[in-house]
Amino acid sequence: MSQFIQLHILTSYAPSNLNRDDLGRPKTAKMGGFDRLRVSSQSLKRNWRVSELFEQAMSGHIGIRTKRFGVSVFDALIKAGVKEKSAKEWATSIAGVFGKSKKDALEIEQLAHISPAEQDAAMTLAAVLAAEDRAPTQEELNLLKADQTAVDIALFGRMLASSPAFNVEASCQVAHALSVHSVVVEDDYFTAVDDLNDGKEDAGSAHIGESGFAAALFYSNICINKTQLVENLDGDENLANKAIQALTEAAVKVAPKGKQNSFASRAYASYVLAEKGEQQPRSLSVAFLKPVNDEDHANAAINALTTQVDNFDKVYGACADSRYAINAIAGEGTFTELLEFVAQ
Amino acid sequence: MKEYLVFRLYGPMASWGQAAVGGDRPTDMQPTRSAIIGLLGAALGIKRDDESALQALQQSILVAVKQCVPSSLIRDYHTTQVPSHNNKIVHRSRKSELSEDKLNTILSSRDYRCDGLWIIAVSLTEQAEISLGQLKGALHKPVFVLSLGRKSCPLALPVQPQIVMYEKLKDALDTEFPAITRSLNEDALWLGSNDRVTYFWEGDKAAMEHSSVVTTHPWDEPVHRGRWQFKQREMHQLSAEEDAHVSI
Repeated sequence: MSQFIQLHILTSYAPSNLNRDDLGRPKTAKMGGFDRLRVSSQSLKRNWRVSELFEQAMSGHIGIRTKRFGVSVFDALIKAGVKEKSAKEWATSIAGVFGKSKKDALEIEQLAHISPAEQDAAMTLAAVLAAEDRAPTQEELNLLKADQTAVDIALFGRMLASSPAFNVEASCQVAHALSVHSVVVEDDYFTAVDDLNDGKEDAGSAHIGESGFAAALFYSNICINKTQLVENLDGDENLANKAIQALTEAAVKVAPKGKQNSFASRAYASYVLAEKGEQQPRSLSVAFLKPVNDEDHANAAINALTTQVDNFDKVYGACADSRYAINAIAGEGTFTELLEFVAQ
Repeated sequence: MKEYLVFRLYGPMASWGQAAVGGDRPTDMQPTRSAIIGLLGAALGIKRDDESALQALQQSILVAVKQCVPSSLIRDYHTTQVPSHNNKIVHRSRKSELSEDKLNTILSSRDYRCDGLWIIAVSLTEQAEISLGQLKGALHKPVFVLSLGRKSCPLALPVQPQIVMYEKLKDALDTEFPAITRSLNEDALWLGSNDRVTYFWEGDKAAMEHSSVVTTHPWDEPVHRGRWQFKQREMHQLSAEEDAHVSI
């Protein structure tokens, strides 16, 4: 069994086109027999992963920034009794893993971030090479950079068909976000005027087009397997906690960027429920199987969600050990406490 | 009398992968055998590269499925940006991948079933190396997160695994579960039930006695996880009116 952290999030977006299909229209799905607006899990994850938050979560684990790493490896090899010519060759190939080697020098051309784990791995490899008196293999060189995994890869995984050694199983599950109510995607017929056309000869527009859009209150569900995340990060629980907090913050504050310049649809979550426990994770989407249809959408959705949590517990037994919620409609709970809760 | 582990799968979106080549990723109407093995394997904590444990699980169980509602099909248009392959560079984050000069776009279309509801009955084979009790415990407190065929399709109900004894497979698959919404009638309304259900099972064709049992040969018996190989197996299916006493 594992420790799971589940996030249930309600976020309201004004009319927008956050995530498009092959025709450029907003993505949809059916739930409870009604069309719902959808943002795919891939779209959500991409926006979170490339956000500054993840880079910040990794800071402090980034190691040294240097061009001269090859020199350290060379020194270590010479100290271990390797001949100068071989030492130079091997140190160059090890340094070459982290950047483009300079001609006839141990240095590389750019500054490279080399993590503590990578430095250790490189020095361990140098010791093996010295002991066995041989050049590094390509596979050994490849593995140097695999030792430390970034938090985004530890969370969302990676599959490289060509080099399975670098595959990482995702420790986080992200559902497609679906609207809690039924939607009809609307069409915006638009024209663009040519600024240099004075309209005396030709009063027509320079461009006409159509753009689909819709507004929605989305339910999204995320489940982090903390046990697996810690394993993906080589047992570094401190870093795992930072990763969980970074993901929580991204999920609450980072919006999909589709058609952002046309709709300015950035939004923060209105309601977040975090749950922790070893029980089988389950999404709460069933709360919205019957589409929410109420003048006060936000509160109706929050009520449906909290009722569902209680009803699941009643019928199936406690589905989580502990819970914490923030409600930005009623002004209850704080984001800081939510971050503390998920990382405890 | 035979012992069955019965549980229920429901989620707003599910994708039961069929043989897929290139960009087209179709879905079946009901969980495939490999999907159920994958689900149970994830619950037990078997890693993808642990061939022997996966094979032991596969040889231990027989899977039967009841598709309770028709569910509907959606097609998702999916694009991904990836940098060109370079042996020398291993990117340590998505941000670093996207900072490459040359990015390629990969297209795929992925199919999903919406509003699906399935009941699964797992029984043991003669050479089983695992017990139904173990599987039940693992579903209650799984090692890896469970999903409906794709990681982006979480379960939206506790699966409520239970061990039952029945003479007939159909009785196991007709096990009653609590209503998802306020009542079974309401469930039927929101999930678009048409009062017809389909049973899928392997093994004994005569497990359900009916003149319109159909036998098909789906490609969903895993051969090798690493090479992503599957072989055909024999599967029987029967579509029928839902029994009056079991209202979904």
